[in-house]
Amino acid sequence: MEAQLTAVVVDDHPAVRAGVAYWLGAGTPPITVAASGEDVRVAWIGDGATADVVILDLHLGGPTPALGDLRRLVEAGRRVVVYSMRADDETALTCLELGALCYLTKAEGEEHLVEATRAAGRGDPYTPPSLAGALAGDRSDHRPALSARETEVLVEWFQSESKDFVAQRLGITASTVNSHLERIRVKYAQIGREAPTKAALVARAIQDGLIGVEDL
Amino acid sequence: MADDDRLFANIRIVLLAVTAVVQTGLNAPPLLRHQADYRPAWAENAAFAVLALVTVVCAVWLLRRRPLPTPVALGGAVVVLAASVVATAAQPADGYFLDVHWSFGLVGWHLIVLLVDRVGVLVGALAAHVLTSVTQFVLVGDHDRAEVGGAGVVVLSVLGFQSAIVVITLVLRRQARLAALVAADRDRIATRAALAEQWERDRRQTFAGQLGATLPLLAGLADGALDPSDEGTRRRCALAATQLRRLFAENDDVPDPLVHEVKACVDAAERRGVEVSLAVSGTAVAIPTVVRRELTGPLVVALSHARTRARVSVLRTDQEVRVAVLADTEPGDGIVSTSPLVQVESGTYGPRTRMEARWKPN
Repeated sequence: MEAQLTAVVVDDHPAVRAGVAYWLGAGTPPITVAASGEDVRVAWIGDGATADVVILDLHLGGPTPALGDLRRLVEAGRRVVVYSMRADDETALTCLELGALCYLTKAEGEEHLVEATRAAGRGDPYTPPSLAGALAGDRSDHRPALSARETEVLVEWFQSESKDFVAQRLGITASTVNSHLERIRVKYAQIGREAPTKAALVARAIQDGLIGVEDL
Repeated sequence: MADDDRLFANIRIVLLAVTAVVQTGLNAPPLLRHQADYRPAWAENAAFAVLALVTVVCAVWLLRRRPLPTPVALGGAVVVLAASVVATAAQPADGYFLDVHWSFGLVGWHLIVLLVDRVGVLVGALAAHVLTSVTQFVLVGDHDRAEVGGAGVVVLSVLGFQSAIVVITLVLRRQARLAALVAADRDRIATRAALAEQWERDRRQTFAGQLGATLPLLAGLADGALDPSDEGTRRRCALAATQLRRLFAENDDVPDPLVHEVKACVDAAERRGVEVSLAVSGTAVAIPTVVRRELTGPLVVALSHARTRARVSVLRTDQEVRVAVLADTEPGDGIVSTSPLVQVESGTYGPRTRMEARWKPN
């Protein structure tokens, strides 16, 4: 059996830290919270430094999002799930560009957080519905070109919050929905600044045959 | 501004008429009477003719209620001053500023007619006229005190009278401008009031039109024709309540009216105990009120049919605006839209009903 997945939780609210630890521990298999604290330092020292996944609140007591902390963690090769109060698209897209594997709003609950953490543990991206909405509504100039089907999957996922429903609507399987979402994220990983997580994502997508070398 | 322009055109005509009357009524008789005294008389007659001609030329513009063009006004003033010098030079030495010197007062009137729109030039021209006449008077020979005194009285009285006319004209013009401004202000206020009234009337009609579903429902409940415990009645109430909330939100002044309206609908559903998750993506775009009404209209119906849970989403991309609801509803509640602007699609998927309203700008 594989070693248990570990996470470090950085959030300035004790109740959120406790809640996240409970959700992660209650999953099957459970995810262990190795360390937690209100300061990003917990992710760099002691048990936090070796945790597989960093769950990072973007707004640590200040009005400005902790994008610098996110960038440093990602550059050190850490797999980061951003867990934020704010649902604004621009911040979400910036976090993806910096190399976060997931941007999750606190309005999205347990199920998404556990799944995002588990995906991050494998180095995989996870796209919750609100992030799908942000990607579908992305109007920036450098956004990657998505196929009509990919856009449809994003929109349907954003609208329904249910992959089974998306699959039913589009007449595809739930796993095809997932691979569409993954391919979209690989496309996004190829734009903006370079990051180890993004490079790994693209490399694995090629290995898995999700995209071809000619797509690069 | 049209009013004061009209008034000033009238003033110009009056000044022109005064000049013509003064020339023919007051100045022609002495000219004819003293033909023998002038040296030579033909110079005097030519000056008279030139001045008459200037009046006629001015009449071409002034009678059509137009101001004089600058070349005509300035050229005319030069001609008039020259005529004055000629007429004055032909005076008998002892006739200056007396009955025989008909041109002195008349030239002032001509200058006023020509230059009344250019006050600075007018003052300069009148001063030049008086100065040249006085200089000619001085140069023509020795004068005793009685002559000088008489001349002074004439110069001052003519100058005083004509200056007074100029001042009155200017005051009148200023008053007319002020009056025009006040009138324009009053018109603007009246227009605004009328617009506000119209808006209020429109608003009332719109409300009355959109209250359509509510009034028969209230009447039915009041009459006892509808049973409040009946599921159908409850659903109609839910619909009416959501419609009213949306209607109240419609005219609020907020940065993102679409999301504001959608939130009002969601709020109405949540008050009924429906668990609603709302997601908004993309930045606000300008949506005409009519389109907004048609985007949220189907949402109102879909939400009023939701039983326990609903997912509401607003997505705005660079190409379109999409409002969608996925809710657990009673079967058989199709939503039909007849709107040419907004494309509405709805369908049942097992226990859930999906509705989507899409609008593409352009």
